[in-house]
Amino acid sequence: MAHATSSQGFAPLKMGLAIPNSKLCMWLFLGTEIMFFTAFIGTYIVLRLGSRGWPTDPDITHIRVWAGAVNTFVLILSSYFVVVAHEAMGEQNFVKTNKYLWLVFALACLFLSIKGYEYYGKISHDILPGRIPENNREVMTKVVNEMQAVVIAQLAPLVSADQKSKQPTVEELAGKLPTEYTMQKRLAEEFLNLKGHVVGNVSLAIPLGRRKVITTTKDGKETKGVFNEQEQTDPAKMVTLNIDGKTVDIPRTPDLSIRAAEELDPITLPEVQEDLKRLAQDQEFGNLIRSGVHGAENPDHLHPIVYGNMFASTYFIMTGFHALHVIIGMIIFGVVLSLGTNLNGWNNYVENAGLYWHFVDLVWIFLFPMLYII
Amino acid sequence: MLIRQSLINMYIVRGMSLTDGIATKRGLMRMDKEHARHHDVNYLMVFVTLCCLTALSVAADVIQIDNRVIVAVIVLAISTTKALCVMLYFMHLKFERNWKYLILAPTTILALGLPLALLPDVGVHYYSVDVPQNDVTLSSDEHNSNGSAPTKSSYNSH
Repeated sequence: MAHATSSQGFAPLKMGLAIPNSKLCMWLFLGTEIMFFTAFIGTYIVLRLGSRGWPTDPDITHIRVWAGAVNTFVLILSSYFVVVAHEAMGEQNFVKTNKYLWLVFALACLFLSIKGYEYYGKISHDILPGRIPENNREVMTKVVNEMQAVVIAQLAPLVSADQKSKQPTVEELAGKLPTEYTMQKRLAEEFLNLKGHVVGNVSLAIPLGRRKVITTTKDGKETKGVFNEQEQTDPAKMVTLNIDGKTVDIPRTPDLSIRAAEELDPITLPEVQEDLKRLAQDQEFGNLIRSGVHGAENPDHLHPIVYGNMFASTYFIMTGFHALHVIIGMIIFGVVLSLGTNLNGWNNYVENAGLYWHFVDLVWIFLFPMLYII
Repeated sequence: MLIRQSLINMYIVRGMSLTDGIATKRGLMRMDKEHARHHDVNYLMVFVTLCCLTALSVAADVIQIDNRVIVAVIVLAISTTKALCVMLYFMHLKFERNWKYLILAPTTILALGLPLALLPDVGVHYYSVDVPQNDVTLSSDEHNSNGSAPTKSSYNSH
C-alpha cells in the first residue's frame, strides 16, 4: 500500500501536527509556562484586590519607573533582534544571525544589570519579605534585634569560650567581659537600656527597673512601694520595696502577686529615633551602629511600611522567576553562540529559542505595568 | 485512491480540522509558503509600535490621574495590545494554523483556575474584615502599655 501510494506521488501518511516536533514541544512547554506565571500574576492581582492597603510611594518601595521602562525597552529590542536573527537563518546568513544573537545576549545582560541595580536598592533598605516592620512597635523591635546582633558580634570574641554558652545573650557577655574593654561595656549598657525600654514598652524618659508596684499576699495584705532592680537584696527569696525612704523586704512566696501601681508612658518611635541618632553619632561605636542597624544613618526615615511584606513577597517572586527565565534564555542563546557562524541545521533551534525569548518578553510586558505603574 | 487524494486536498485547503494530524508533502510545501510570508511582516514597525505603547504606559503614570482604576485599565489595555503584537507577529501566531488554539486554549483556561479559586475569599471578601492584621498587633501593644513585657513569641517574631 505504501509502495502504491508512493507511485502516485504522495508521501506516506504521518500522524502529528504539520510542524516540527521541537516546535510542538516548545509550544507545549510555553503552555505550562503560561500557567506558571498566571498563577503568580493572578494571585498578585487577587491579593492586591483583597488588601486594605498597599505601599505605592516610590520613596518607600524603591520602585523606579524609569528602570522598569528601560528594561521593557531592552526586552522589546532584544525580541526584535531575535526575529531578525531568525530571518537571517532563513536566508542562510549565519554571520548576521550570530551578530544579532550576540546583541540579544548583551541586552539580556543589560536587563539583569538594571534588575540587579533595583534589587540592590531594595536589599540595602531591607525591603525584603518578612523583614519589613508594619507598625511602630515592629520598627522599634527591629532596631533592637539588629543592634543586639551588632553588640553580640563585638562582645562574643572577647569572652573565652568556656565562660559563655552556645548562644550567649548580651546580658551574659556583658557580665563576663574583662574590665579593660570599656567601649564594648558601654555599648552593651546602651543596648540593654534601649532593649529594656522597648521590651517593657516604657518611655526612655523613665529610668529602667524602677517603678511603683503593689504586692498582694495570700491573705490579701497589700503593700505599695517603689521596686528598684538595683536594690534587691535577695531577689530569689525577697521582694525589696522602698516605702517613703525605708527599705521593706516582703517574702517572695508562690502566691505573692505583684502589679504595677501606675501607668507608665509607653515608648514612642520618635524617642527611639532620637536615641538611635545619638548612638550612631558616638565617637567610639557609632560606625558599628551605622553599619549594622538599617536606617541608623538617618533614623528620621525609620518608619513602618503597612502591607510592605506582602508587596515585597509578590515583587520578588514575580521578578525573581522572570529574571531566572532571562538567565535560562541566556544559556539557550549561549549554546548557539558557542557554535559561531557554523549554524547549518540549527534553524529550528533558533526559532524555538526565539519563541522562548518572546515569551519572557511577554511576561515582562504584564509585570511592568502591574508592579511599576499601578 | 481518488477519494483519498480528494480528502487530502480538501484538508489542505481548509487548514486545520484533521489536516493538522496529517503531514503530507504538499502540506509541508504549504508550510514553506506560510513561512515565506513571515518575511512580509515589517518587524521594525512592530518594534516601533511596541516602543510607542511602552511610552504611553509611562505617560499614564507621569500624567498623575487621580483615579487609579482608570490608570489600571489604561495600562493593562496597553499591555494586552503589546502582548498581542508580540504573539501575533514576533511569535508568528498570526500565521500558524489552528493547532495554536488546541494548545493554548486549555492552558489559558487552566491558568485562570488558581486566581479564580482565590478570588472569593482573598480578593473579594464576602464577610466584613473587622480586625485587620495590623490592628491586632497594635492592640496587643496597647495592652502592654502598663510596662509589662510582651510575650516572648511576639518579641521574637520580627
